[in-house]
Amino acid sequence: MADVNPGGKQDPTLPPAVPTISTGVELASRRRFDSWVTVVKENRLFLGSFAIAIGIFLVVVATQFLTNAGGEVRVPLGIFGLVVVYFGLDSVFKSFWGERFETGFWLSVAWIVLICLVAIFADLLPLSEARDAGATLRSEDENLLSPDLLSKHPGGTDRQKLDILGGIIYGARISLQIVLLAVAIGMTVGGVIGVTAGYFQKWVDTVIGVFTDAILAFPPLVFLLVLATVLPRTPVNISLALSALGIPVYIRLARANTLVFVQREFVLAAIAMGAKRSRIIFKELVPNVALPLASYAFIIMAVLIVAEASLSFLGLGVQRPDPTWGNMIAAGQFTFDAHPHLLLLPSIGMFLTVFSLNLVGEKAIRRWDPRVSQL
Amino acid sequence: MMPRLIALKLLRLVPVMFLVTFGTFSMLLLVPGDPALAFLGQDSTEEQYQDVRADLNLDAPFLSRYFDWLGGVLTGDLGNQLVQDGFTVLEGIQQAFPITLELAVVSIVMSLVISIPLGVYTASHAGRALDKIVSGTVFAIISIPSFVAALLLIFYFVFNPDIIRYPFLVLGLAWAAWLLYKWYQRLVDPEEGASGIYYLVLAAVVVAFTLWLFNAWPSFSRIGISRITSDEGIRENLQDVFLPALTLSLTEIAIFTRLLRSDMIATLQEDFILSARAKGLSSRRILFRHALRPSLFSLITLSAVAFGRLIGGTVIVEQVFALGGMGSFLIEKGVATRDYNVVLGGVVVLATVFVLLNTMVDISYNYLDPRLRRGRR
Repeated sequence: MADVNPGGKQDPTLPPAVPTISTGVELASRRRFDSWVTVVKENRLFLGSFAIAIGIFLVVVATQFLTNAGGEVRVPLGIFGLVVVYFGLDSVFKSFWGERFETGFWLSVAWIVLICLVAIFADLLPLSEARDAGATLRSEDENLLSPDLLSKHPGGTDRQKLDILGGIIYGARISLQIVLLAVAIGMTVGGVIGVTAGYFQKWVDTVIGVFTDAILAFPPLVFLLVLATVLPRTPVNISLALSALGIPVYIRLARANTLVFVQREFVLAAIAMGAKRSRIIFKELVPNVALPLASYAFIIMAVLIVAEASLSFLGLGVQRPDPTWGNMIAAGQFTFDAHPHLLLLPSIGMFLTVFSLNLVGEKAIRRWDPRVSQL
Repeated sequence: MMPRLIALKLLRLVPVMFLVTFGTFSMLLLVPGDPALAFLGQDSTEEQYQDVRADLNLDAPFLSRYFDWLGGVLTGDLGNQLVQDGFTVLEGIQQAFPITLELAVVSIVMSLVISIPLGVYTASHAGRALDKIVSGTVFAIISIPSFVAALLLIFYFVFNPDIIRYPFLVLGLAWAAWLLYKWYQRLVDPEEGASGIYYLVLAAVVVAFTLWLFNAWPSFSRIGISRITSDEGIRENLQDVFLPALTLSLTEIAIFTRLLRSDMIATLQEDFILSARAKGLSSRRILFRHALRPSLFSLITLSAVAFGRLIGGTVIVEQVFALGGMGSFLIEKGVATRDYNVVLGGVVVLATVFVLLNTMVDISYNYLDPRLRRGRR
């Protein structure tokens, strides 16, 4: 579960102080390259806006005008356009907020905020029917429409004439609800147990450790499969099942962090002043451990979103008519050649969300977990 | 010291495995409702119903049922499959497990083969453009769920092989051209020290390999697998295993590369690297002979953990490619039909392998890193 950041190593993307080994010829070309970089840096705002304009133009051409060309031309062109837009934005932002501005991070934050907002206000958005196949039965829309940004169905439609974009947004709503509930349960239960283990140590720690090991002995997906065999597949049950995956991870995190804080002077001071055990745990330790635990929430959410989608994909998660990213992708998997949008659009939605959560989560951990930020 | 530690670790497995089996058993059989009825559905005859009840030993009290089953497990008897009459669960697992094992082995080997050069390259060129591209891509790959990756790979490798094949040719030739350029630089400017002939040989190998693979591009199959022991032989088997294993490798490659890169960057800042450089050793020699070995420590232990995770994590890939390994066995014969014996047996086998591997990693840590030994109570 926590393998997203193996070993809790420091961020490898930091500019390293390694003297690279280079030849004389490379040095000359590097100097030429550096002078180009200076030119770009002096005209960031202008060049950036220009790049954004070109990028948007390319995307519009790829999506709106090249309708006769095949996907092998349109998709790379669209992606290239997006990359150009990214570098343009990067340039413009850096001209405003300085060279240390992290465009990727803030774009991820923006995406998470956006997906949360559309998930919350999904009912108020002008979306076409995405859930009830009975309602679309008589509509004049065609089924399996290709995506067309300016039409009634920006993301196209599926076999039952259901709107893909709407499906993605309602899918986000269900996914986020399930995963948020799971993380909340995992964090509270696992946090309390972990702090207990870390504070009392000795046999309490051993017993809790054996229980944690027992849950971690199940390969994660297999654990979910066992639960899916017996539980009715409702969102709340899936939340509970997913939280069972999160609890052992949180127990370990809370225990490790508690071990760090128990040695600190303020705990010693509290003991010296004769504070009760419950006071030390709830007033001294829990508030300090809570922040590091919360900083892991993003990455655990990312893992659980994938786990939930995997269950839906296998047909063991949330069932139609409720759309989820997993069951939409499963529905599109056998007609990928003819109707790639059925599979690609939900995949892209899920990928961006998971990617953003991972990126934000790594930064949060580096910022708030004392065990990592000490490095 | 050491035998005692191993004994302690193994002793800890006893309560863990007890909890695992008991937990699975009670999760499956203590839920409300009649397991036999859940398995058969509503329209079953009284005779069938009694049969299944007898098979699951449902009339006995819960605890005695559990210990009966546990006794069976310890003597290698996992019970009968309810759906496929006449087959025991053990036979099913014997059919399925080798496939999962092969998948895990191939994908671990593939991940290491790809990620070690990538990690070394990115670490030694940290901060350069290509390093940024590779590191960014690797971070993005972690966020791709395996079923999406599997479907994309199927699209490119099975249905549209030319989209992969021609870029492969171009990239291979471009790499060879770049190597020739390096060789030419050494020829013009011999002061560089390192022998240029290495680049010439490497370029020839790259061209030969690229052309050979371009010509003999294997046709991958969408579903199914031919076993190693079948008549088609190992070539067919490896072709079938390649795509599923690649799917599983993608995430592992990403994780391994990131780990090796950061470890290697730390190693490259050590004094002994500086002294090696001062002695005038070539950069290739410094990287592979001096810096790589101390950087591999955490990668090797992590890859053992990853191996355990792969054994239990092939479920999705097996379903997408219809491979018939442990995952398919669990889902199709167990979860889908609510065959409790199959689910119990499969889960216990997977969990045992997983736990044993992790314990072995734990123990090997103590062998590999003497600092851990002293710290223990």
